[in-house]
Amino acid sequence: MSELPKDLKYTETHEWVKIQGKTAKVGITDHAQSELTDIVFVELPEEGKEVKKGDELCVVESVKSVSEIYSPISGKILNVNKSIEDSPETINESPYDEGWIVELEIINTSEVEELLDADAYKKSI
Amino acid sequence: MINSLSKAIIIKIIFSWTIDMTCKSQLYEIHKKLGAKFTEFAGFEMPIQYSSIKVEHLAVRKSVGLFDVSHMSNVWITGKGAEDLISFTTVEDASKIPIGKSQYTEILREDGTVIDDTIFMHLEKERYMMIPNAGMAEEVTNWLNKKAEENNICATAENVSEKFVILAIQGPKSRDTLQKLTKADLKQIGFFECQYIGINGINCIISHTGYTGEMGFELQITPAENGKIIFEKILEAGKEFNIKPIGLGARDTLRLEKCFILAGNEFEGGRTPLEATLGWTINWDHDFIGKKALVNQKEKGDFERLTKLTLIEKGIPRHGFIVEKDGKKVGKVTSGTLSPCIGKGIAMAYVHPSYRTIGDELDIVIREKRLKAKVVKPPFVPKDWSEKN
Repeated sequence: MSELPKDLKYTETHEWVKIQGKTAKVGITDHAQSELTDIVFVELPEEGKEVKKGDELCVVESVKSVSEIYSPISGKILNVNKSIEDSPETINESPYDEGWIVELEIINTSEVEELLDADAYKKSI
Repeated sequence: MINSLSKAIIIKIIFSWTIDMTCKSQLYEIHKKLGAKFTEFAGFEMPIQYSSIKVEHLAVRKSVGLFDVSHMSNVWITGKGAEDLISFTTVEDASKIPIGKSQYTEILREDGTVIDDTIFMHLEKERYMMIPNAGMAEEVTNWLNKKAEENNICATAENVSEKFVILAIQGPKSRDTLQKLTKADLKQIGFFECQYIGINGINCIISHTGYTGEMGFELQITPAENGKIIFEKILEAGKEFNIKPIGLGARDTLRLEKCFILAGNEFEGGRTPLEATLGWTINWDHDFIGKKALVNQKEKGDFERLTKLTLIEKGIPRHGFIVEKDGKKVGKVTSGTLSPCIGKGIAMAYVHPSYRTIGDELDIVIREKRLKAKVVKPPFVPKDWSEKN
């Protein structure tokens, strides 16, 4: 069974969100990385860009597949994890920690409340 | 996000046509026990990977891997006119292929486009086995029988695909592994040679061929029950070399690094052997279906050819991506991936003849971005890669 930290929020499209005050870190779940296997390429968005909930945030490629990662909430991109450009396998190795993808400035707190908790996400997979 | 999309892309990349009916490999339960993830390929549910495409890929390059390729077809071609039928329906002159030899060739339509590429094995007098691609057994069998009848050639093609399991054992340690299971001296079987052989006491057909660019053998085993036994015996025999079962994912990256054709991709939409840079496989000294069209095409010379491209920038080219020169479309990618051995994006693409000189720089359009690529000499991964890495 894949790991699901209780302090994170989740989406049905397999992203996780870590709320830290007014900012939110986003990545993909352990289940997602294990389904994708061998992540070999990440196309990151530009810092400063504003995204709406459900927009394409970035693209993650394994040897045989291309997957879009959607923004779980609306926000402004404060930081992108540049280290995963050079070592995309970090997402496989540490999906909830070193393999984070972007950090967003939260615009709409009500969207945060709509996210799934660990138990609800577990039921969806 | 993941399941539906990646599956759709996997199928798009490695397979361009579908058949409604899905068959399971006879070895399905064994694959399942080994932890395989499955994909549909040409109507067959086959393992796409067991552990990881990268790990499986490198196992074959550096040591040994075992593939179930039973989705490929088996067609017996027999009779007094078997040699004539093969010569007439392929670009090869079968009279040049003695008993004990395997040959790669293509079957063409009258217009010179490829119906299928295949290997045929000359096993006995007037008896050949042909290995068409997955899902092509009926079409090829019917085509051969029709051409035999129309031209009064005394030969019959029989589709026996369902009776056979096909295994491929590939990699520098493939011979050492397989040698443990047979009394025959495998060193006596040369590259592109074939014969009947006892493996673990079971009579099989062996051919010193493969689709990985490494040393390897392909086994045709019947009935299917015997295929299960041999599959497990090979895995056991290869333990000391850390043998791995290999899925279709790594099969695709292994062949692409060596610039081998995948019929569903590189012949999509109708391509001739000249366009697919398979001119070296054509024996021009005999009469065959499609010859006239090829002669005409060769004279004109102005046709797109399969071109090998390496990305200079970071990215992964995929099937269907557009190739440009100064913003103008000059080609299209048929197969692309990230090479597990060289760590770069690699692609084969049909490119206009004016833009495909070795060293030429072109752009591959990936999600609206133009990424620089360079025309390179095949293969992407040289023969001595395993020794040097």
